Amino acid sequence: MAIPTLAEKLEWLKPAPATEFELECAKNIRPGEYEIGVQITNDILDEAMEIFVRSSRSYFGVSGDSMVAIFTAQGDLINGSCGTYLHAIIQPIILKFILKYYKENPGIRDGDIFYTNDALYGGIHNPDQVAIMPVFHEQELIAWATAALHTTETGAIEPGGMPVTAKSRFEEGMNLPPIKIGENFKLRNDFLEFYSVYGLRAPAMFISDLRARCTTADRVRVRLLEQMEKRGVEFVVGLMRKMLDVAEAGAFQKVKSLPDGTFRSVVFNDAIGWRPSLVRACFLTLTKRGERLTFDFTGTSPENPSSYNVHTQAVVGHLANFMYEYFFHDLPICSSTFAPIDFIFPPGILLNPDKLAATSCCVYIGMQTRCATHNCFAKMMFCSAHSWSQVASAPGSQHTAQICSGHSQWNLAVSDVLSFSLNTQGQGGRATNDGMDAYGFAWCAFGRAPDCEQVESELPLTITLSQHWRDSSGPGKNRGGSGAVQQWMIHKVPALLSLCMGNGSKVPLGQPLFGGYASAPIPGISVKKADLKQRMEQGDPLLTLDHRSIFENRDIKGDWKFELIARTPDMYAEGDLLFGFSGGGPGYGDPLERASETIVEDLKKNIISEWTARNIYRVALNSERSKVDLAKTEELRASERQARLGRGQRYDDFMQEWSKKSPPKEILEWYGSWPDAKPLAPIFRP
Amino acid sequence: MADKADLLRITEYLDLDLGREQWHCNRCGRALGPARENYKKGCLIYDRDPREIHPAIVEGQYSFSPDPLWVRIVEFYCPGCGTQMETEYLPPGHPLTWDIEIDIDALKQRVSNGEFVIKNQRIESTQ
Repeated sequence: MAIPTLAEKLEWLKPAPATEFELECAKNIRPGEYEIGVQITNDILDEAMEIFVRSSRSYFGVSGDSMVAIFTAQGDLINGSCGTYLHAIIQPIILKFILKYYKENPGIRDGDIFYTNDALYGGIHNPDQVAIMPVFHEQELIAWATAALHTTETGAIEPGGMPVTAKSRFEEGMNLPPIKIGENFKLRNDFLEFYSVYGLRAPAMFISDLRARCTTADRVRVRLLEQMEKRGVEFVVGLMRKMLDVAEAGAFQKVKSLPDGTFRSVVFNDAIGWRPSLVRACFLTLTKRGERLTFDFTGTSPENPSSYNVHTQAVVGHLANFMYEYFFHDLPICSSTFAPIDFIFPPGILLNPDKLAATSCCVYIGMQTRCATHNCFAKMMFCSAHSWSQVASAPGSQHTAQICSGHSQWNLAVSDVLSFSLNTQGQGGRATNDGMDAYGFAWCAFGRAPDCEQVESELPLTITLSQHWRDSSGPGKNRGGSGAVQQWMIHKVPALLSLCMGNGSKVPLGQPLFGGYASAPIPGISVKKADLKQRMEQGDPLLTLDHRSIFENRDIKGDWKFELIARTPDMYAEGDLLFGFSGGGPGYGDPLERASETIVEDLKKNIISEWTARNIYRVALNSERSKVDLAKTEELRASERQARLGRGQRYDDFMQEWSKKSPPKEILEWYGSWPDAKPLAPIFRP
Repeated sequence: MADKADLLRITEYLDLDLGREQWHCNRCGRALGPARENYKKGCLIYDRDPREIHPAIVEGQYSFSPDPLWVRIVEFYCPGCGTQMETEYLPPGHPLTWDIEIDIDALKQRVSNGEFVIKNQRIESTQ
């Protein structure tokens, strides 16, 4: 077996040395031609992405949680349309694996289609599947095209592709190492038959998404060939080489412009699988020396027997989401931008688990590495005239990932995620402004919340409210963006199976910045035997559809349940309710510095409650909550600052009491040793 | 109080006096200790019950409020003006994070050799 080692993966992340032919071709790209060439790649990718969104069936596809990309013949990414940046840096691992091991057998030929979803070989987790096509011109391999998309089914022990009870990879359904699934531009029927049985819970979605990936990758291939015919192979080869070189030079320059030093952040997670359990999800030590950065994850909790582990390159994928949204926002999406970056992953941590580990829910841990990265970079970038305005808290990363599985009102087998609560997370508070409300998906900045009526027409649900989730934005001088809430009523079917992935019910996720606060935790909420449907049918004038009132006053009657957000499969009957939340962004800066007029605006928009305005932001409001008494507010805030001076302890005094404390032992089963998170025992996996 | 022109802004509330190698509060100028050590040692620190910031909306174990046995909010205040300079969400007793360890010698060298200039409390690369 040739499963890539950590050393191979880290080597393959870096761009391969240029060939003499590439350098010669790059030299001949004239001024102006380069810029035109870059734009041509953008246009090719944007066209392909449009095709991808329109032809895929799963809600991740419809939301745009996908990537289309172009690579050199040696497997380095030169541009991508995102979608999500998760795959951008790491797909070269897959291509370089194919180039190293498959050149002779099964061979790499014009018209081949390769496919993989196995995180051991370079992906994120097995719902993320990628189609790969070599681009040949006159029998020469010139480039590669890929199309990656998350499909919410893998034939695992639970529907939805991210089983919360999986203990090893063998319970996660389909895991395909890179495999040739098509030849001569045709998908092989034997593969399709093999593949289809993994998607029996939702065959239409499963097969449609596969074909969408292949169609998309092929469109990129065709357009690249057109350019080779029109402008010459040398132009395309030279352009790709130059794009790598320009991006790499830009990345080194950006890194060099920051101060040298060591920056640390620690973040926690409150569940592994469906069990409440505290783990140190990421202990990041980021070292900057000259033009190089090193991410060291030593000190992170040991791997555990759940699906909440992350293979190393998937960690890098999560970091890419931060890098391209913020620090590298003005650089092309090109794998050479990571040339200045090195990684240290000690063996046995949950960010570098054993090959047998389950990792299908890796994103809940992986996102914590992004949160830690936000904080470390904020503290490295703030003194830079060029970079400080890109400083921001991490986005809200908790959410309700509710899977619906069963038969739709059209009697079609379905298994999909309700992605509104994924794609409406709040952006973290920024150095220059508040975080955007319901800005997108922390894993995919360009993700779009699906249209309610489309969801209702395809799934057996009625969406009875969609609102900003009041008080979900992390308070701060610049508050985090608000998250959102949606209420789902099972409709037009006798019953539906549902489960949920997620985290953040006990502990707010991530860390705020510079004196702000985090977003609130999210419980899992359901109401069986709810009276809502009956009251809607009767036109009940007393019916309230304000989410806070519903929770606080139980305006809707039924069997309410508040539990951990990650839940194992359960049956819900027609009329039962589920609630989905997207987390708000953590805040930036001392809440006492928040401008009073923005607090009134937040109240008007129902982003915050009056309690928060008075008790966190310390503003004096008139009785209509429409105006702030500025003088009185200044008095309240001065008084709170004095109170801080009274209750705050000096470091030594604080540490004397603090260091004697610890969490209850029963929640530390998978944390490792307290507090340094070293492994205590080997992991047994079935 | 240090002259603002000598200060480099490291966070919203934390200034670095590079010449004297001292941390300062950006809002009131209060000195917070040697820049080769953790600035948090110069702050006042408070162990906050997280339920005071994220209050429960419903009763029970899962209430939209953090569990105070699992996590605390550690607040760092400027001892001069009471500005909340930083917060950390940590399990009770977890070591505080030494989050910022600037390589003072490297920074001084890059300023002295002209690679960096300090303008408006921020560094600009001349290369």
